[in-house]
Amino acid sequence: MSASRRPDRRIPDISRWLSHAFRTDPADRPAAETAISRLYALLGEPPPRFVWAPSPNAAVPHLRPSPVPSTLPLEARMATRAAELRARRRRIPPEERQWIRDVAGLVRAAIPQPLGLYWYGQQDAYWVEPDSGDPELELWAALVRSCGWWWPREGVCVVAERPLAIRTDDERRLHSATGPAVVYPDGWGVHAWHGTRVPSWVIEDPTADRINREFNVEVRRCAVEHLGWSAYIEQAGLRILSRAPDPGNPGCELRLYDLPAQKWHAPSRLLLAVNGSVERDGTRRRYGLRVPAEFDHPLDAAGWSYGLTGAQYAGLRRRT
Amino acid sequence: MFLAELLDRTGLDVLDHLDRQVTVPVIDGLQAQGDLIVLPLGLLGWVPRDWWALPAEGRELVRGEAGNNPHTLVADRGTCRMTTWPADPERLAIAAFENTAPVWLIHPEHGATGIAPGAWFVRRQRELGAGFRKPVLIAD
Repeated sequence: MSASRRPDRRIPDISRWLSHAFRTDPADRPAAETAISRLYALLGEPPPRFVWAPSPNAAVPHLRPSPVPSTLPLEARMATRAAELRARRRRIPPEERQWIRDVAGLVRAAIPQPLGLYWYGQQDAYWVEPDSGDPELELWAALVRSCGWWWPREGVCVVAERPLAIRTDDERRLHSATGPAVVYPDGWGVHAWHGTRVPSWVIEDPTADRINREFNVEVRRCAVEHLGWSAYIEQAGLRILSRAPDPGNPGCELRLYDLPAQKWHAPSRLLLAVNGSVERDGTRRRYGLRVPAEFDHPLDAAGWSYGLTGAQYAGLRRRT
Repeated sequence: MFLAELLDRTGLDVLDHLDRQVTVPVIDGLQAQGDLIVLPLGLLGWVPRDWWALPAEGRELVRGEAGNNPHTLVADRGTCRMTTWPADPERLAIAAFENTAPVWLIHPEHGATGIAPGAWFVRRQRELGAGFRKPVLIAD
């Protein structure tokens, strides 16, 4: 974890509480159904019929908005009560809230269909506080401990299982270099590279050819990082135009490559540079920058990236 | 100044694998830290007017993509005044400062570096955007 400031003393059981968001054991169905039935009762509604889905994605076909008679639909009334409950809560540090919302948000983004109003169950740990003494909030806390996402509707409630696996990097972002970062019992999952959602080929079979055809810059960056710059350059058959010592970065070289012309992209070249500082494993990370095709010398290209001429950039004294 | 001592004084932290017993060099000239570069203010072509004192706890210049990994500027109290977003024809400048004693630029992954007394400005790095759009800023 690369915290900028040393972390404040956290309430010790908060991190234990938040770990519910990452649980991968099967849902405790009786506990979840009991808590949800009580939340229905608080709205003056009878217990719903329960439909269990093996993943949030598998819940989609079961979702129909509640019919709207004269009153607000059930899920809207549920949301009103939940909003009142969460407005009073401030004990969970903002960065912890954000971290768990990011994880849930990345899974949400993998489902193209609208989901209507729903809650995250285990991942509502980001706003539900344990042991609050408030009986209504305790019902939400029971759901954090017992199930995945859930969709309350008139007469029926769809509840999703927890994932089988959730994998993160050491900065706690969703990440797996070998398979989906999140996978559910029905096999549905989400691939992620250091917190960026990517198509499965980026993780399972990144090739230079696929990278060159990909339009999304972020996806391309992740795929190249996974494949490795050297392998990418070799596979793509990039031709080296020129190389020069990197000023301020002793022993390292700047290399300029010709990039194949791409439809709908301005002509560009690739500047390959090496980080000024070492990684945890003792290596230095390479990174590629796309630069305008007008540059023939790596120093001019590197200078442009900082708004400088090559001659000005050559005066660099140190790079960290 | 050792890295360990600097971190102690500022309350900032860097990744564990960086050597804390190295002396942090103070550089009088162009230097880069990841996606930032520190340049003599003379290159900007004009001098900003609305300076303010760099606060004791320092100032984050820019944060990385995932919200962490900030570059933070710190100095002894009363030795540095700064301004943010100075006008720059290249549209890359994010801060300018004048210092009478070394100031320090600290980053969790890149470690720390010292900047000699003088007048400086800081630019971000860019690369070509997708398609024919304007260049994008790098965030490492």
